[in-house]
Amino acid sequence: MKRYLKLVDFEFNRFLKLYLVLFGITILSQIIGVIVESRNYLNHANRVIYQDLVPIAEFLENYRTISLIEISYSAWFMGPIVICGVTLIIYVFFIWYRDWLGKNTFSYRLLMLPIARIHVYLAKATTILLYVLGLVALQLILLPIESQVLKWMVPSEFRTDLTISQITGLSDLRILFPHTFIEFVLYYGGGITAVFIVFTAILFERSFRIKGIIYGVLYCAISLFIFMAPILMNEFILGSYFYPIELFFIELVAGIVVLACAIWTGNFLIKNKIRV
Amino acid sequence: MIEIKDVTKKFGRKKVLKGVSFTAEKGQITCLIGINGVGKTTIMKAIMALTPINSGEILIDGEKIHKGSYEKITFIPDTITMLPQMKIRDAFVFMADFYDSWNQKRATELLQFFKLNETDRISELSKGNTAKVNLLLGLALDVDYVLMDEPFSGIDIFSREQIANVFTSHLIENRGVIITTHEINDIEHLVDKVVLLDEGVVLKEFEVEEVRENEGKSVIDVMREVYQG
Amino acid sequence: MSVKFNNRDPVYVQVIRHFKEQIARGTFEPGQEIPSRRELANQLKINPNTAQRAYKEMEEQGLIFTEGNLPSRITKDEQTLKMVREELILEAVDTFVQSVRSINVPVQEALHLVKDTYERENN
Repeated sequence: MKRYLKLVDFEFNRFLKLYLVLFGITILSQIIGVIVESRNYLNHANRVIYQDLVPIAEFLENYRTISLIEISYSAWFMGPIVICGVTLIIYVFFIWYRDWLGKNTFSYRLLMLPIARIHVYLAKATTILLYVLGLVALQLILLPIESQVLKWMVPSEFRTDLTISQITGLSDLRILFPHTFIEFVLYYGGGITAVFIVFTAILFERSFRIKGIIYGVLYCAISLFIFMAPILMNEFILGSYFYPIELFFIELVAGIVVLACAIWTGNFLIKNKIRV
Repeated sequence: MIEIKDVTKKFGRKKVLKGVSFTAEKGQITCLIGINGVGKTTIMKAIMALTPINSGEILIDGEKIHKGSYEKITFIPDTITMLPQMKIRDAFVFMADFYDSWNQKRATELLQFFKLNETDRISELSKGNTAKVNLLLGLALDVDYVLMDEPFSGIDIFSREQIANVFTSHLIENRGVIITTHEINDIEHLVDKVVLLDEGVVLKEFEVEEVRENEGKSVIDVMREVYQG
Repeated sequence: MSVKFNNRDPVYVQVIRHFKEQIARGTFEPGQEIPSRRELANQLKINPNTAQRAYKEMEEQGLIFTEGNLPSRITKDEQTLKMVREELILEAVDTFVQSVRSINVPVQEALHLVKDTYERENN
């Protein structure tokens, strides 16, 4: 256990520099976004009110106040989230291939550690999960700060102050901040399972190389099929026999089966079939 | 003792090992000789479970390799197995973190022996010094068996001499060593046993002193007979 | 101490010969302490197992001796030391005789030449 945690610590630190850059981009872009978007809004309001001489009350009726929800749809706000997401998705692959590719033979070291090799696999997965949670936490800390910036920028009659729960519940941010247990299981459980499936597919490739790519793709397809099977059956064979909540729990079981298979297969491959 | 029993290995349709068998004793230096591409490195990787074998069996002191075995046997490949951005010191910390058998005292001793600087970054080392660090990381583990893949290839003469000196020192004493080479000259007087390989089979396995004593032949003489006869 | 070994004779035999030469020459004195097998391996750049074997053989031949846990020493036995010297001389003579015989040199002529060359080199 101690060595597993050390391995997680080690893997975490290996990407830390770039990860902190992601933090920086997110903080800068979103804060600048709040400032730029509120300026645009105020400029627009000024034009309408002072040039077109529309009374404030009428303006507010027609154009609505500004809140973080409007801002959250801007490229300033969503851009860094997408960049972080894409970077992490790429890193899901790179976290493995960096040990194999080029002149680097660090894979030798990792596979010769006196620990069960599945720990290497789990440590890499844990690292990805920690990175995701870290970014979500950053967003959570940024929201109240951004609310404050909005308060400084825009007079109170032109803005709507929302709680964090309202902002995350009513915008696209809801994917990052699930509001119900079912959502949480769907988004995060689904995400973790997907990472494990991709990891195992990568191990197929690392074990069997070119043939392994085919095995990996097949394996992903089978996993997806098992996961989707209950929905497909309910839809096409049983004629919507289950209640949504029943279907959810059946899906949950299917998800757990797929996840368990991914880890079991991953363990088998990294223990017996992997090549350096 | 490391026992390799009738090991076969295929890469796709190409058979690289066609039933290889030999043993390497603890306290002895066993040398695998063969031209490049005869499967020397593959054998070492197979011993360390870094590549699967198709059939046969490999035993280390009578048991198959498992996670605990890596405290007992180590492999020094011909490229460094640490992250290039690490300083030598960081590499030591990494090894100490993960191996009970890491011997810091010996690591420090080797560092002086090789005249290396622990604040040097691995990526900035010369080829010879990189090879020395690689060797150091393996030799500073208190393991019974050390496998070395071509420790002399592609490095300068002085580094070679330094590395050869390791073999006659207490750093190797009482351990079982398997070393691969395609060039025996540097170490002819250092090895106990030679295994001659060609195209995935063992052509001959012999104790060098025995052959000198009984047949008056050098390793090269035997090689000439075996490969050209 | 550095020795050039050939590749065809057993290294341990060459090590023993090296010791005998040192003894005959007087570099190793009777009763003198000799390096441990590890030191020897290191000095001669040979396998420690080979050094071990050489010491074992020399011990059996009475060239060296070990008391308890002390380092090994060169024998003090006059008889053995004399034999070592004689053995080396006879070996050299044998080699010499063989080569001069192969080119049919009469013994008188050979002896004469030996004497001349020896004296010239001494001067």
